[in-house]
Amino acid sequence: MSKSKKSSQKSQTDDLIGAVLVIGGGIAGIQASLDLTEMGFKVFLIEKTPSIGGRMAQLDKTFPTNDCSLCILAPKMVEVFRNPNIKLMTYSEVIEVSGHVGHFYIKILKKPRYVDEDKCTGCGDCASKCPKIEAPNIFDMNLGKRKSIYIPFPQAVPPVYLIDSDMCLFLNKGVCKVCEKICEAQAINFEEKPEEVQIEVGAIIVAIGFDILASKLPDNWGYKYENVITSLEYERILCASGPFEGHVLRLSDEKEPQKIAFIQCAGSRDFHIGIPYCSSVCCMYTAKEAIITKEHSNSSECYIFRHDLRAYGKNFYEYTQRAQDEYGVKYFNSKISKIVEDPETKDLIIHYEDLNDGKFNDLRANLVILATPLIPSEDSEKVAKILGINIDKYKFFKEKTLYDKLSSEREGIFLCGFCQGPLDIPETVADASGVANKVSTLLYPVRNTLLKEKVVSVPEKKINLEDEPCIGVMICHCGINIGKYVDVPQVVEYIKTLPNVTITVDNLYSCSSDSQTSIKELIAEYDLNRFIVASCTPRTHEKLFQETCEEAGLNKYLFEMVNIRDQCSWVHMEQKVDGTKKAKDLIEMAVAKSRLLKPQKESKLPITPEALIIGGGISGLIATLNIAKQGFTTHLVEKESQLGGNLNNLYQIFPGYQKTSEFLEPFVNKVKSHSNINIYLNSNITEIRGYIGNYDVIITTKGNKVNNIKVGTIIVATGAKELIPETIYNYKKEKNVITQLELEQKLRKENMEWLDNIKSITFILCVNSRQKEGITYCSNICCTNALKNINILKKLKPDLALILIYRDLQMSKKGNEEFYRDSRKNALFLRYSLDKLPIISKTKIGKFNYKISLFEHNLKGDVEFYSDLIILATPMIAPENFKELSKMLKVPQDQSGFFLEAHVKLRPIDFATDGIFLCGCAHWPKNIQESIAQANGAAGRAIRILGAKEMKTSGLVAEVIEDYCIGCGKCADVCPYNAIELIEVKKTFEDYTLRLKKSNVNSALCKGCGTCGVQCPNSAIIIKHFSFKQINAMIEAYLKN
Amino acid sequence: MKIVEKSSKKQDMEFKPNIVCFCCNWCSYAGADLAGVSRFQYPASIRIIRVMCSGRVEPAFILKSFKDNIDGVLVTGCHIGDCHYISGNEFTKDRFERLTIILKFLGLEDRFRLEWISASEGKKFAELITTFTNQIKKLGPLNNI
Repeated sequence: MSKSKKSSQKSQTDDLIGAVLVIGGGIAGIQASLDLTEMGFKVFLIEKTPSIGGRMAQLDKTFPTNDCSLCILAPKMVEVFRNPNIKLMTYSEVIEVSGHVGHFYIKILKKPRYVDEDKCTGCGDCASKCPKIEAPNIFDMNLGKRKSIYIPFPQAVPPVYLIDSDMCLFLNKGVCKVCEKICEAQAINFEEKPEEVQIEVGAIIVAIGFDILASKLPDNWGYKYENVITSLEYERILCASGPFEGHVLRLSDEKEPQKIAFIQCAGSRDFHIGIPYCSSVCCMYTAKEAIITKEHSNSSECYIFRHDLRAYGKNFYEYTQRAQDEYGVKYFNSKISKIVEDPETKDLIIHYEDLNDGKFNDLRANLVILATPLIPSEDSEKVAKILGINIDKYKFFKEKTLYDKLSSEREGIFLCGFCQGPLDIPETVADASGVANKVSTLLYPVRNTLLKEKVVSVPEKKINLEDEPCIGVMICHCGINIGKYVDVPQVVEYIKTLPNVTITVDNLYSCSSDSQTSIKELIAEYDLNRFIVASCTPRTHEKLFQETCEEAGLNKYLFEMVNIRDQCSWVHMEQKVDGTKKAKDLIEMAVAKSRLLKPQKESKLPITPEALIIGGGISGLIATLNIAKQGFTTHLVEKESQLGGNLNNLYQIFPGYQKTSEFLEPFVNKVKSHSNINIYLNSNITEIRGYIGNYDVIITTKGNKVNNIKVGTIIVATGAKELIPETIYNYKKEKNVITQLELEQKLRKENMEWLDNIKSITFILCVNSRQKEGITYCSNICCTNALKNINILKKLKPDLALILIYRDLQMSKKGNEEFYRDSRKNALFLRYSLDKLPIISKTKIGKFNYKISLFEHNLKGDVEFYSDLIILATPMIAPENFKELSKMLKVPQDQSGFFLEAHVKLRPIDFATDGIFLCGCAHWPKNIQESIAQANGAAGRAIRILGAKEMKTSGLVAEVIEDYCIGCGKCADVCPYNAIELIEVKKTFEDYTLRLKKSNVNSALCKGCGTCGVQCPNSAIIIKHFSFKQINAMIEAYLKN
Repeated sequence: MKIVEKSSKKQDMEFKPNIVCFCCNWCSYAGADLAGVSRFQYPASIRIIRVMCSGRVEPAFILKSFKDNIDGVLVTGCHIGDCHYISGNEFTKDRFERLTIILKFLGLEDRFRLEWISASEGKKFAELITTFTNQIKKLGPLNNI
């Protein structure tokens, strides 16, 4: 029996395929595909529409940083397009799946584009001559028009046109064929037929995203009126490449609306039309849209009709406060009864109940924007059937267990992004890295079996330093982000006049894939040997442009980037003249540096295939297990005497009501018994040296035992802790005023006698959080935690009176809205506001301990009641020792003390420092499900590095000019990486030989900080790419003209 | 007397200082980006020169700037202890404390400042530029000395 089992397992491993099918080309699918190729797997990325990008590509900006959405997404889209290991199949659908985990057979239907993808250059001649113009523009939410031969949006990937077969005159009426005549590339092919493609993969990732419910909304929301639109339609209107080119206009008369009303929860959290859940992101994007509207036109008035305010993420609550305080956006705590149109003016009249004073009011608005529910993709049922997986009652895909939302119920098929439940972008990105990790855990024996190396088609240009520099400059409008505040055409005219500038161009988005093509064309056409892009920040986009230059045969160090957005247009919004001058100066300085740029070479470094995980809570345990399972030695450091972290203090976990000890046990046991895992309990990290691939870490265990380890990558999973309130509600004095965690400790007791004398318990939410000063953020998990404990207490003692005092209830994840409704029957819910906190006084009336006086916000009246026990829901905070760790790791903390990720939207679990990752509550307070998903993601990000054998080092290093070096050794003294040593060199002068000491830089160890170059008394060290001459030239260029 | 005051005031309004600001790639440059992302507004008086570490900034660059008639120079880096390159900014601190002594001899010390700005201090960056610009405005153009 056991023998046969073994052999079948073996045959399954032989059978494994090192390729993955990703269904859906939105941000989830894009991130998963990119991570998978770095882990060593081939990817087939299937997208139903003609371009990847998904919903994120349609957004104008992203909260809470107001980053231009397409600008941060486009580099990733281009990366997918360039990646030799991603087979991108757009306009295609999966029609059949057979086989089993590790080896699936997939049939894909490729719909005809009638344009040859390989031949089309994306020039657009066809569309300009196409006579048919009535086709609605789907990408612009049908607001604009397009031709029947079209590209979905200017930055589309692949940058290839297609013909809309429903609209084309030739395909429907047999006349026209203008495009075929006009196309010089001869890419039009009316004979194209649907094509079936068969592939074999080891695993499948489903990331088909969401749709928007609008047309099916009940009449009272008024969507049938012209000037009532959905948020996504409004995103397109706001966008510079949208139907009105970024001008805020309403549809009926294309005039600028003065009064704009935003309606939240329009159809969601509504049990009558079947969308009972909260879509999770509307509170935030509505605040964003209102802020952007005010930035477009400061005189406009923005009104937000809200229910609960669910701003639970990093800097979210502060963002909604800024919308009110800085931008003057007005929030109404209200219920909408209906929206009707004034037929003459086409204005809208909103009938609503103001929950602040209980009165019924009307508001006249010129434009109404509905935050309609985000619903599962219309294809979800069909896709579920093809894949043989289940959907839940909302038609989102059903996860395997409550705590494993990344896996479907069918082995080998994984879920990520909005198709599994409402999520925001950073959560989606973390999930995408998480599913990539799940796939990698499944398929690691066949890693690197199907990969191709990138082929560089254009060989690197030889640059003779005597050659005259020929510089190309591209200046970006970034939609209106730069163009509105800096006079770009004027800058272009000026830059054209500078010596050595061969060509200067401007465009709407320099980061799009068609711009990459034009950069390459410019380099070839004008034989450029330097290139400059003036756009956003090099911290996010330099890599993209460097790769483009490399593909055009230009060494990447001959590229220079100028920041005229984050450091110019965005900070000088009221100073167009000075801002324009600044942009000119900055580019001129870059031109001066660019003349002196030299090509550089990169060397390779080995990687230590071991990982360090700091923190043994649930996040740390999951990350450790995932990395160890894939064959890498993993070191887990925990400062306490047992593994489990905060969960050790909880009674039952949400939402499964399982005892925490039972939940934790299997994870802890697996970690303890795994041969690849070294556990260090009662231990702290005392020193970290080195860099990605090669860290030297000292771990000190209690009793002064010291361990030195070498690791390639580090994951920070240090958790957070509950705030102990200092002054509020007499917490320090009263023994029956306790925190949530102290309640959990009581519940953990075997003996529940303490509950016998208690008749009434009051929970107070938002204690010391969401304040004007001090802790301003929402701690995300206290609401669900309090409701969980209310349900537990009610079960333990059914006659207990339970009261919950709240401000807003944060119930935005899948299933939480029903959980909240169910919990309502177990407690009395009362609402308070920040300016009138409840007052607790001691009392002897009856047998109660405390009297609670409260101004009830919804009832508009004073309420008094009595309780024996008061539970304070205080926020999670970053522990003090984060500071020490942040210094050791050289990674930053945010304003609240939590660790600061590399990018809030698209790199949520990376640090800016390569090789170090982040998960769990150390990043932001989050529940167990989210922590587990994020830990999977962090493990995935780390595996990318551990799985690679070597890393390329940067070409930005120091170099010693031997003839100038006097061998004093001052450079070696200041080098923090011991990359410089003095070596003995024999020098022959005519007839005698001297032994001289000379400095020598080990370029594999040098990080290019440049300190040695400054210290050298004889200017014998050149800091490549930041040389003395280059920086001097920049200073000189500043005031030259 | 009144007339003189008026004319000097007018001159103040017209004088727009030219300032060079050195930023390290990891902290202060990121802080300057954050000021942009947060839309904190400040005068368009500075031109940022990015270096990998504030330890790369040669005292000679500051002297060169003044020689080229630049009215003020800022050097910014990570807070002490936070340097991405372990200890680069400690050398920066040391070097510029010594340079300040020389600048005092030349009467230029008020036109130079060394500040630490972390990646999360966008607000601090915007405030620094605003106050430093005002300080230079009060001093007037360099070539007038």
